[in-house]
Amino acid sequence: MPTPTLTQFIVITLVQCLLVVIFVFVVVPLTVFAERKVLGYLQQRLGSTRVASGHVGVTGWMNRGMWKWGRIPVLSYWRGIPGLVADILKLILKEDVIPAKADKFVFFIAPALSMVSAVVVFAAVSFVPGVFFTFPAWFPLVGGLPVSGGIADINVGLLWILGVASVGVYGIVLAGWASNSKYPLLGGLRSAAQMVSYEVPLAISLLAPVVLTASLNFGEMSTRMAVGLPFWGLVPQILGFLIYLTCGFAETNRLPFDMPEAENELVAGFHTEYSGMKFGFFYLAEYINMTVVAALAAGFFLGGPWLLPFGLQGLLIPASVPFIGQPHAIFFAVKIIFMLFTYIWVRGTIPRYRYDQVMSVAWKYLIPMALANLLLAALVRCFAV
Amino acid sequence: MFKNEEMEINLGPQHPSTHGVLRVKLRLDGETITHCRPMIGYLHRGVEKICENQTFFQGQVWTDRMDYCSAVANNLGWAEANEKLFGITVPRRAQYIRTMLNEFNRLASHLIWLATHALDIGAMTVFLYAFREREDILDMNEAFCGSRLTTTAFRIGGLREDLPPGFEKLVTKFLAKFPSCLEEYENLLSENRIWKKRTVGVAKLSAEDAIALGVTGPVLRAAGVPYDIRKAFPYAAYAEMDFEVPTKTEADTYARYLVRMEEMRQSARIIQQCMDGMPEGPVMAKLPKILRAEVNEVYHATEAPKGEIGYYLVGEKGSGNPYRFHVRAPGFINLQALPKMAEGGLIADIVAAIGTLDIVLGEIDR
Repeated sequence: MPTPTLTQFIVITLVQCLLVVIFVFVVVPLTVFAERKVLGYLQQRLGSTRVASGHVGVTGWMNRGMWKWGRIPVLSYWRGIPGLVADILKLILKEDVIPAKADKFVFFIAPALSMVSAVVVFAAVSFVPGVFFTFPAWFPLVGGLPVSGGIADINVGLLWILGVASVGVYGIVLAGWASNSKYPLLGGLRSAAQMVSYEVPLAISLLAPVVLTASLNFGEMSTRMAVGLPFWGLVPQILGFLIYLTCGFAETNRLPFDMPEAENELVAGFHTEYSGMKFGFFYLAEYINMTVVAALAAGFFLGGPWLLPFGLQGLLIPASVPFIGQPHAIFFAVKIIFMLFTYIWVRGTIPRYRYDQVMSVAWKYLIPMALANLLLAALVRCFAV
Repeated sequence: MFKNEEMEINLGPQHPSTHGVLRVKLRLDGETITHCRPMIGYLHRGVEKICENQTFFQGQVWTDRMDYCSAVANNLGWAEANEKLFGITVPRRAQYIRTMLNEFNRLASHLIWLATHALDIGAMTVFLYAFREREDILDMNEAFCGSRLTTTAFRIGGLREDLPPGFEKLVTKFLAKFPSCLEEYENLLSENRIWKKRTVGVAKLSAEDAIALGVTGPVLRAAGVPYDIRKAFPYAAYAEMDFEVPTKTEADTYARYLVRMEEMRQSARIIQQCMDGMPEGPVMAKLPKILRAEVNEVYHATEAPKGEIGYYLVGEKGSGNPYRFHVRAPGFINLQALPKMAEGGLIADIVAAIGTLDIVLGEIDR
């Protein structure tokens, strides 16, 4: 394999970045769509085909059309896609209002900060084991060069992920402050306190896999957690997984911890004054963060990103078994989808904590528990590995 | 140097959880509420004054539009106040049908309360479940009087029409499924840790304060005072019904939740009894074309879902309009307890307090 020149390296990285951005912009709308579908089923909502198919004009026509889709076996699951498309169009076309007294530069930069920090995390997450694809030999400039599954296979991947993810909170705090309005300010204050608090147990709960696997590289850590230990990594880390999950919910501002935007208290929290695509960026960032949390959970706790869960591969199923014997990106996708479903499931089930209760959950319960869990991991590392 | 400032903030009139156009002026120390004053009047239409310029028959239409979530209960109070004013005896069958519809209305109103209260606290699913059942009740309203929300269900002297054919079937079907629906809500909420954390001990209102402020309805009963006008001063057919008045002594949001859930059970019981013991006969008393007042004034109180709704009517001898009309709206008086309940709590608590008071601004502002 030829060593790529600097130009070739940059081109390949850009291609990878493009792929990640495409991934993000495919996954997020699908998650939004899935959220509506799943919540619709959980809450037995009547969809637009039931309530609006009698309407005149475009609305009624589209809804009658969607009603007919329902008869087509596979397509029937995709009823409601026009609503999603309309939503995205609305976000893009809506007037972008900037309040007169807002700090315009900060107001402008805040959603970008949220969005960028959410996307950049993916640099250290590899989606596909090893080589994703190789450019054909006739391809100009980069012909014959492999494109690996992750952008940056750095040895401090987890640090990168945690560091960049915590920049996202600035987006929210600055948005709340720059709006120069009272409800966003309260939302910003809440999120500052909440996200800083939950960062601590989140980081500690992720330290346990680091201790167990003696690595900070995403790929190495996840593989060792799945098959590198004499047992499946989740077994001693079940508590860590639950702590991680709770903190993940809090970090992504999802119910039951959606303090910063608690719509019934603070109208819309930090993004009250945002409209159009600036609001859309916050919206995107939230769902990307959900995907990140899901990806990390899949990687570290659910048995490696590309492997079957329960340590099946390597321990029970030999590598020679076709398809399920080998690592595969599909397993990663399935695990992410499962985690995203859990998010929606929780949202449909439980109410919201009060702000002070959220803080006491973090400081009184999660941090001590996370420390105990870290100690447990250290003991396991000492005596069982 | 740091300045320690309190922030003044308006909760409403456009806010997702003020149940309409309530505006609450809050002074916040961080997130703690130090001062809270409800501001009302954004939905004032002058219902009382309008009614004074209309005949006794026409006034009922306006009672629909006061508490639009419990229009039937308002209609009942209006009709009975007028009957008291003119000394009309309502046929027994009409009384039973009124009682039954009133209890259905209580269910609908409590379901709205449960839905919005749960939504305010973040339990979105209960909201949609409760609306699903309320839909059946509205369908029954529609079957009975043609309209779903602003019912104008009764007439002074009885009912305009008897129950439509097939109504029993609707009621039986509803009563068969309703207990399991209630269980579904309680499964989601009653023992939910977060729900209890958000409601137990929140927005307390002691029995003394409640009585001093004139608070009635489930809020008073959750403080341990078993005052229910259906029992204390029976009207319609309530004297013949067998039901209990649930009370709790904790006087917090959770107790009010339990009281209202139990009230829904009792309402279902009353509906069942009305169905079983429904007498035959006419549904309308003989009335003159135009009612002209004889007695000078009446005050008639009934137990609306939200508390005591009282109609004060002054008739002028020989006139076809009320000389003076005043409504003691339960929401208006219950709302006055809000500062007592919310001050010292957090922003999230005032949302729970507004939800648990179960206010409808149409009735408060009139």
